[in-house]
Amino acid sequence: MASPCVVLVDTPDEALGNEIGAIVRAETHRIEAKFSRYRPSVITDINAHAGEAVEVDAETADLLDYASLCHRLSEGRFDITSGVLRRAWRFDRSDAVPTEMQVGAALRYVGWHRVLWDRPHLKLAAGMEIDLGGIGKEYAVDRTIGLAIARAPCAVMVNLGGDLRVSGTKQDGSAWRVAIEDVDRAGSAAGMIDLASGALATSGDAHRHVLRDGTRYGHILDPRNGWPVTDAPRAVTVHAPTCTEAGLLAKLALLSGSGAEAFLRAEQVRAWCVR
Amino acid sequence: MSRVNQGATGLRGALAAAAAGLLANGQAGAQEVPSTPTTVIDSAVLVYHEVGRVQAIEPTLNLSQKIGEDSTLSLGLAADSLTGATPLGAVPSSKAQTYVRPYKIIPLGTPVTVTTASGGSTVVIIPPATGAKSQVLGASTTVPANTYPLDRGFYDRRIAGHAGWEQTLSSTLKIDGGIAYSKEHDYRSESVHVGLTQDLNAHNTTLNAGLNYESDLSFPLGGTPTPLTAMNANWKGADESLHEVDAVLGITQVMSRRWLASLSYSFSDLHGYQTDPYKLISVVDAVSGQPTSQLYENRPDSRRKQSLFLENKVHLPSDVVTVSLRGYKDDWGVKSVTADLRYRLRMGADYYLEPHLRYYRQGAADFFHYYLVNGQAVPEYASADTRLAKLSAQTYGAKFGVRLDDNQELNVRAEYYDQHGNGSPAGAIGQLRQQDLFPDLKAYTLLVGYTMAF
Repeated sequence: MASPCVVLVDTPDEALGNEIGAIVRAETHRIEAKFSRYRPSVITDINAHAGEAVEVDAETADLLDYASLCHRLSEGRFDITSGVLRRAWRFDRSDAVPTEMQVGAALRYVGWHRVLWDRPHLKLAAGMEIDLGGIGKEYAVDRTIGLAIARAPCAVMVNLGGDLRVSGTKQDGSAWRVAIEDVDRAGSAAGMIDLASGALATSGDAHRHVLRDGTRYGHILDPRNGWPVTDAPRAVTVHAPTCTEAGLLAKLALLSGSGAEAFLRAEQVRAWCVR
Repeated sequence: MSRVNQGATGLRGALAAAAAGLLANGQAGAQEVPSTPTTVIDSAVLVYHEVGRVQAIEPTLNLSQKIGEDSTLSLGLAADSLTGATPLGAVPSSKAQTYVRPYKIIPLGTPVTVTTASGGSTVVIIPPATGAKSQVLGASTTVPANTYPLDRGFYDRRIAGHAGWEQTLSSTLKIDGGIAYSKEHDYRSESVHVGLTQDLNAHNTTLNAGLNYESDLSFPLGGTPTPLTAMNANWKGADESLHEVDAVLGITQVMSRRWLASLSYSFSDLHGYQTDPYKLISVVDAVSGQPTSQLYENRPDSRRKQSLFLENKVHLPSDVVTVSLRGYKDDWGVKSVTADLRYRLRMGADYYLEPHLRYYRQGAADFFHYYLVNGQAVPEYASADTRLAKLSAQTYGAKFGVRLDDNQELNVRAEYYDQHGNGSPAGAIGQLRQQDLFPDLKAYTLLVGYTMAF
């Protein structure tokens, strides 16, 4: 996790606060290490054995089941094999836009339908990769809140780089005040939200995009055609009971491009879009 | 959880159910918060080999145990076994030379079969002094011509132990204390120390102070030889003691997020027997340079030492560099400088390689002499022990570490030590001009260590 992570515990017991902080940190590091795309992990192991069947443990299987369901529910817009498209798209604020051929070449290795997932065995076609970055952070928020509440009934907020969840209201019954970051000015707030329960997850292109000929190509790529979703909101923040749901809804909204607001309204999701 | 919102397509409901499934299943496998280890066991075996000289093997075992929240108990044990050859202090000669030292003491009248003592020396019977109830058997060594005189029968076994206690008094203050004991066949050492550590500036600055008192006893076989008298095997002097007080003051400072610096000053005051009872100094003929007699060395019985030590640790993106410098001087005239560089190269999450370079240079003690000259007055203090001579040494080494799992580490260290001094001092007399009065010393070290924490 390269973004700042904060745990807030509303309690007069300093030792408990420190302990909860330690529990959250340990679990976050565990999940990060287990599903990291950069360091030796379950994911790098799966990707290194593309073309062969790999047996995964229960937790990884649960996440793959969830990813598989999301792929179906989103009609293919959410796809954990789409990471390979970054070979064509490098979002470094330069104006490098790939050609049709480059995107086409990368697309050959994208598509959850090309994956044989028969729990607990996963078989990727050779050259494919999976990346749980799209659900890993939200999953970590939900897991750590669960562990914190299991440890002691207290008012906790876990915020991992902007994806956050609260255990409930603060000790005095008031809501937590959360600032939404301005998409153009990192570090400054665009607005405040009062959160009494549930989770917030944000998806957006604020920090990664390609600007070319006046057109902003966001970093959300539609795995069905390999191109960035056009006219997507700059950022979508969703409020839902769990961070996992909020995260997926935010991504699906972005993937709906110009239809983001309509999608959120239709699904009766409490959300904020920034264009 | 709040009511599930079905939405237009049932997506939300399906999603909520899926999320619930994902998060419910995981709880059984919840990771326990890893607690900091309360017990650390460190074991190591050191093998040391000087080319043509001393070999040593030393296994050590150290235990650190957290007691309650605030205290730590530490215990350590080490055993040494040394064998080999060690310089006698005498000069080489173009003629074979014979040396003798006490080997065994037996009651008077016991029949003796002349055998070979350790290291190839011959057992000789020393005529007992009048009225003595025991007699001394000496070990006699003959060193061939043009060979640097070494005592090949050198052996020693040493056992050492220490116990320490560290107590946290507050979030910024710690006190520690300990005792140590070491015994070999002719030397015993006991010591006690106390220390204080104080953190300031939100733990960015640490001050430490320590005091150590040591009491040693030297009891060579037969007694202590009378200094500056001619070599013999009938040592009669009493056991000799040495007392030492050391004080250390230090400060460690976090200089930046990646740089830790530490400076410390130490002072030692020693009173008592500091002579090496086995070391000789040759008296040579003023013209030919041939040894005419061998005398036992003599060192002052008071010594004051001071040193200043500066160490820097810099944490590069994945590696760590440690650079240190130490300056030393004492009132025996010895001055030295040590420079040390270590570079810990992290190789993935589980391995590291740490090359090591050390440079050491020292000036001679005031009373160091390669030899004394017959006819000149014998000075009050004199030693030909090359460890007190002007010398320089380089160490080249590397340590390789493997993290076996969260609780265990294995490491191997190999080092090569190369020491040289001036073997042809200016003004050497007669045959001494053709001799190497200070042969280079090369030594290899291999250390295998295993640490377990739980």
